[in-house]
Amino acid sequence: MELRVTESSENELSIEIGGEDHTFMNVLKGALLEHDDVSAATYDMNPEQSGGQTDPILTVKTIDGVDPLDALEAGAATVREKTSALREAFEAA
Amino acid sequence: MSYKCSRCKRDVELDEYGGVRCPYCGHRVLLKERSRDVKEVSVH
Amino acid sequence: MAPAYDVEFVEREERKARFLVRGVTPAFANGIRRAMVADVPTMAIDEVRFIENSSVMFDEQIALRMGLIPLTTPPEGEFVEGDTVTLAIDVEGPGTAYSGDFVSSDELVKPADLNVPIIDLKDGQRLEAEADAAMDRGKSHARHQGGVAVGYRHLQRVEVVGDRDQFEDEEPHIVRGVIEDDGELVPTSEFDHDLTVRYPGKEVRIEDVPNAFVFHVETDGSFSVEELVTRAIDSLEQRARELEDAVQL
Repeated sequence: MELRVTESSENELSIEIGGEDHTFMNVLKGALLEHDDVSAATYDMNPEQSGGQTDPILTVKTIDGVDPLDALEAGAATVREKTSALREAFEAA
Repeated sequence: MSYKCSRCKRDVELDEYGGVRCPYCGHRVLLKERSRDVKEVSVH
Repeated sequence: MAPAYDVEFVEREERKARFLVRGVTPAFANGIRRAMVADVPTMAIDEVRFIENSSVMFDEQIALRMGLIPLTTPPEGEFVEGDTVTLAIDVEGPGTAYSGDFVSSDELVKPADLNVPIIDLKDGQRLEAEADAAMDRGKSHARHQGGVAVGYRHLQRVEVVGDRDQFEDEEPHIVRGVIEDDGELVPTSEFDHDLTVRYPGKEVRIEDVPNAFVFHVETDGSFSVEELVTRAIDSLEQRARELEDAVQL
């Protein structure tokens, strides 16, 4: 996973996440939107046939006083919590 | 180069002087045998 | 705030299962599905050395057929991406070369089914080859795809709201998947997917149960359904952890 920040300001961050696709990005986006201190989260991805930018670019906007990088970290942690909770529930079934 | 005569089915070795002709039966149609090399193919 | 999930099996076999997961968001459900299809690595033949092939088909065509034979995939940790296992085959006609004719160099990796035909050999024809199997993801080629027919549907709640009009025509009311009737899970195949069979003369209301998805998972035999699902979850989790670590620095 290669990360490259394309735009960054106090409350907004755009970051390219190399090698990922909708599988992880949509889960991550969904997790970010569950957080109250994230005001907007989206990602943009182009098909291979477009010949242009194909790695997803994630954009996170946060409310005042929250570092978008921290929000991203919390979002990733949420995904991790979800996966371990699901694994537990699945193995118990 | 190893060939097989299409009429008498015998193995034929061709050299550069004899021309394309089976030395046993004189037939002029020879079939090329598959090379004995191991062929490596990757699955696409 | 750890999410509360609840998993319940409706059907459970080695290679095929149907289970209900409550409490998942559509995004997460789809992530799991996609991971099962494209991100869980399996073993498959991807290089073949032909020593003899006097069959009627080209080496390349036979190599493709060999590639598509499902192989058992060893437990996690036994293998890393890049490791290979060699399988040898030597069949002489007349007869059919089957996947079961492969002799593997490793007990852990062998054809999942022994009855997949490769090619019909006539009298005097022979197929002798050595194949290398490697681990890769379904994303790179369908032969490395462990999950086949993986999908999900909303759980549907059926409620009887009254009797049907006396003179109304009885028309079939087709529903597919799994329904919830008073807390009981019923696969629609039990009543021929027709609600009028289960509730004759009744008027029913059906609605999707929010955040409850019924997964249908089938594997190609590389591993069990449980393995596939846990490995898909692992693959998502590993990426989340990677991102977390990368952001922390």
